[in-house]
Amino acid sequence: MHYPDKKKTPADWLSTFHIDWPLMLALLSLMSISLVVVYSASGQDMGLMNRQAVRLGVALFVCFAVAQIPPLVYRRLSVPVYLISIMLLVAVLVVGHVGKGAQRWLDIGFIKFQPSEILKMVLPMTVAWYISRQPMPPRLIHIAAGFAITLVPTLLIFKQPDFGTSLLIASSGIFVLFLAGMSWRLIGFFGCLSIPLGAILWFYLLRDYQKQRVLTFLNPESDPLGSGYHIIQSKIAIGSGGLEGKGWLMGTQSQLEFLPERHTDFIFSVFSEEFGLIGIGLLLAIYMFIIGRGLLIAARSQHPFTKLLAGSLTLTFFVYFFVNIGMVSGLLPVVGVPLPLVSYGGTSMVTLMAGFGILNAIATNKKIYNR
Amino acid sequence: MSKVKKSAENVVLWRVMLMIAVMVLVFCTLLARAAYLQIIQPDELREQGELRSLRSESHQVQRGMITDRNNFELAVSVPAFAVWVDPKVVHDTKSWEQTEKWQALFAVLDLDFKQEIAKIKKSPKKRFFYLKRQSSSAVADYVRQLNLPGVYLREESKRFYPSGEIAAHLVGFTNIDGQGIEGAEKLFNQVLTGTPGERTYQKDAKGRQVELLSVKSAVPPKNIQLSIDQRLQSITYRALKAAVKSYAASSGSAVVVDVHTGEILAMANTPSFNPNNRANVNQHRFRNRAITDVFEPGSTMKPVAVLSALEFGTVKQDSIVDTTPFKIGGKRFADPRFLGDISLETIIQRSSNVGVAKLALGLPKDYFVVAFHELGLGEVTGSGLLGESSGMFSLSRRWSDLEIGTLSYGYGVAVTTLQLAKMYATLGAKGVSRPLSILKLPEPPEGKRVFSEKNTDFVVHLMESVVKRGGTAPQASVPGYRVAGKSGTAYKAIKGGYGDELSGFFAGVAPVNDPQIAIAVMINEPQSDVFHGGEVAGPVFAKIMGSTLQLYNIAPDENQIETLSRKDLKEDKHGL
Repeated sequence: MHYPDKKKTPADWLSTFHIDWPLMLALLSLMSISLVVVYSASGQDMGLMNRQAVRLGVALFVCFAVAQIPPLVYRRLSVPVYLISIMLLVAVLVVGHVGKGAQRWLDIGFIKFQPSEILKMVLPMTVAWYISRQPMPPRLIHIAAGFAITLVPTLLIFKQPDFGTSLLIASSGIFVLFLAGMSWRLIGFFGCLSIPLGAILWFYLLRDYQKQRVLTFLNPESDPLGSGYHIIQSKIAIGSGGLEGKGWLMGTQSQLEFLPERHTDFIFSVFSEEFGLIGIGLLLAIYMFIIGRGLLIAARSQHPFTKLLAGSLTLTFFVYFFVNIGMVSGLLPVVGVPLPLVSYGGTSMVTLMAGFGILNAIATNKKIYNR
Repeated sequence: MSKVKKSAENVVLWRVMLMIAVMVLVFCTLLARAAYLQIIQPDELREQGELRSLRSESHQVQRGMITDRNNFELAVSVPAFAVWVDPKVVHDTKSWEQTEKWQALFAVLDLDFKQEIAKIKKSPKKRFFYLKRQSSSAVADYVRQLNLPGVYLREESKRFYPSGEIAAHLVGFTNIDGQGIEGAEKLFNQVLTGTPGERTYQKDAKGRQVELLSVKSAVPPKNIQLSIDQRLQSITYRALKAAVKSYAASSGSAVVVDVHTGEILAMANTPSFNPNNRANVNQHRFRNRAITDVFEPGSTMKPVAVLSALEFGTVKQDSIVDTTPFKIGGKRFADPRFLGDISLETIIQRSSNVGVAKLALGLPKDYFVVAFHELGLGEVTGSGLLGESSGMFSLSRRWSDLEIGTLSYGYGVAVTTLQLAKMYATLGAKGVSRPLSILKLPEPPEGKRVFSEKNTDFVVHLMESVVKRGGTAPQASVPGYRVAGKSGTAYKAIKGGYGDELSGFFAGVAPVNDPQIAIAVMINEPQSDVFHGGEVAGPVFAKIMGSTLQLYNIAPDENQIETLSRKDLKEDKHGL
């Protein structure tokens, strides 16, 4: 604006979109992989493909839209949205729609949606808002308050019950606290506290099917036809891939429907069987790049709020990805977490891309913000 | 304030770095996990995958029959039923509440009610186990009428052997799944079962066929026609069994061979077993001793020395041999009774050890040893029977003079009864060796001449004297026919020498003027007062030979001098 006579370069033109292009390219390549694998995993179901393509389009649009909003606005909006979300979560428990034995959906006439998805973004925002208001490093009382902010939605979601999402939301809050400089002594204290907490969780809070999943994780062969079936089939599918994989659409375990949930939570097994270790290496590299880029954005941003928010969003994405791959390859118990941006499924895709929209906004607004 | 802020920012940066390190570690873990599953463990996992998705189906058909040369059935398949139970259905329908029916079921199947019902109750998730296999159709009808939920019938076939123990060794038997595991049933299993058609296909998790990978078309099963004549087999077995019993022998074998074709017309052993009910049968009874057991053939080998000497030309048909005892390397060669200067015929008739040893030692060693080889010693007979022994005889080893001497009367070599029969069949075929066959042959195989017709014929004539008065085995004579043969009695080799046990043999051919049949009989370890080969095996030979000649309508030749050629007449003059 100060140099109106200067000709606009293509780079300038691109920067007007508030998009961090390396990050966006990596996200787009993941989405392309998603289309390819979902096509195979769904048994060449074109209807399903169309729905997935529409969702990707919507997600991209949301990402783009969210990126245009300056981070300052998010900071201002976080508390009211947080409070509304909490109310919605309570509403879900009271009048929610029951699907697959869990109350997660709120039916508001024209659309059914999960309030917990909003919280995936709003919770780290709120905690970051709160912590960034305090002098750094935060004192114990502030950490405790941050915990309280995290704990309320976590418990509400856990009650639905949705173990996977509550885990993600809890970690997104904790990441903010951790990045803010929570003292190691405190981390050690909570680490010790987690043991009795785990016991309480096991004996009073976890439902039978959740306990079963943990037991199955410890020894999947104990019930190969029952609860161990998912893990065993998934491991077989991954192992069948070998170094080079069986080729696209050629995976026997997935194409022949031996693999359950193969286009949603277990899509990584399908990918592994068909593209082998080489494909896995490539996929992991893309994820690694995205996470690295996210952390770079966090490191470069100048304000504590954006720093913490960017870091937390990136780390939550990492948890998503780690828990999913760990679960299908038998390293972690089965919790219902999709492979981010690849699994078939609308809500999580849109939420994740909204999160990346925020990351884009932070990446491209650092100077403006600082001014 | 700014200092505090700066250090706070540093904390955040430092934590970000820490997180990056943690994440790199996690990436490596995930990649390592995938590599472990895909590179280290994949064979097992792949196999598991194929176990889940690949299926083969085969379609079995009824097994072929085994018949004798006249289409008499030796092994047939009859329909039978397997009774099986699906414990899950039993549990789901609570059908054991019909206790009476279950009791009736186990009663007819001859099973213990309490034990079986406990087995079913114990495994409510199982889907299959057999209660009883190979049940008759009457039992099957009864089971069908009981109509118990969870109890089913499956068609199968049961093998039945009409000739029972008579041809048990030769025909063999199948296991409960219809696969031949002994004898001809095993040897010809492939032909008898045919090749069942097989489809290999890929199935999905719901069991639907997805892709047909391969189809092997079925080869229908065929019947097998053996060379055996069931009538002769029966006669042979009975004669053998009677002799083994009356001489208290431990075992016995006999083989009848068609001289002109090499077909085995009968092959019997005792002790035998009932192939239709093999429960609690001692394993040793399953052995086809005629082909598996070897023994030193003793004097039955003596004609070889005479024949070789004639062939090489060291003696003539009218030569006289001095049988004065002699020594080689401390071993004295002598006859039980000194016989003096005797003709070739007397050597055979009186079974002179000195005579044959002298003839053998007069020959080049290789020439003499090869003669044994030409008669089929040291190699299998060509019958193809499973478990056939090639005996013990080595062409390549160096034979000492002493060994050549004892070889001439059948020590230092071991043969099976079948090999002995083949050797005499070669003599009977006037020096033409043919492989033996257990299958009925459409035409006789091309033989190989190993000895001249003239000399072989002469030796056969010499052997006629053995069964005459003054010979070692008059018991082997057959009224009305001219029979040629040779008895043998040999000590059985044991560890470190020879023991007290004997085996007695008789091998021979008939009728002498045109031999048709060769028979070898072996009686192992007779415990009676009589034990000489001529005494124990001779009568068996006579019984079988007599029946065979009559059965095949072969004209008696005893008083048919006029049919003989002038050459025969001349030889007869020497012989008698």
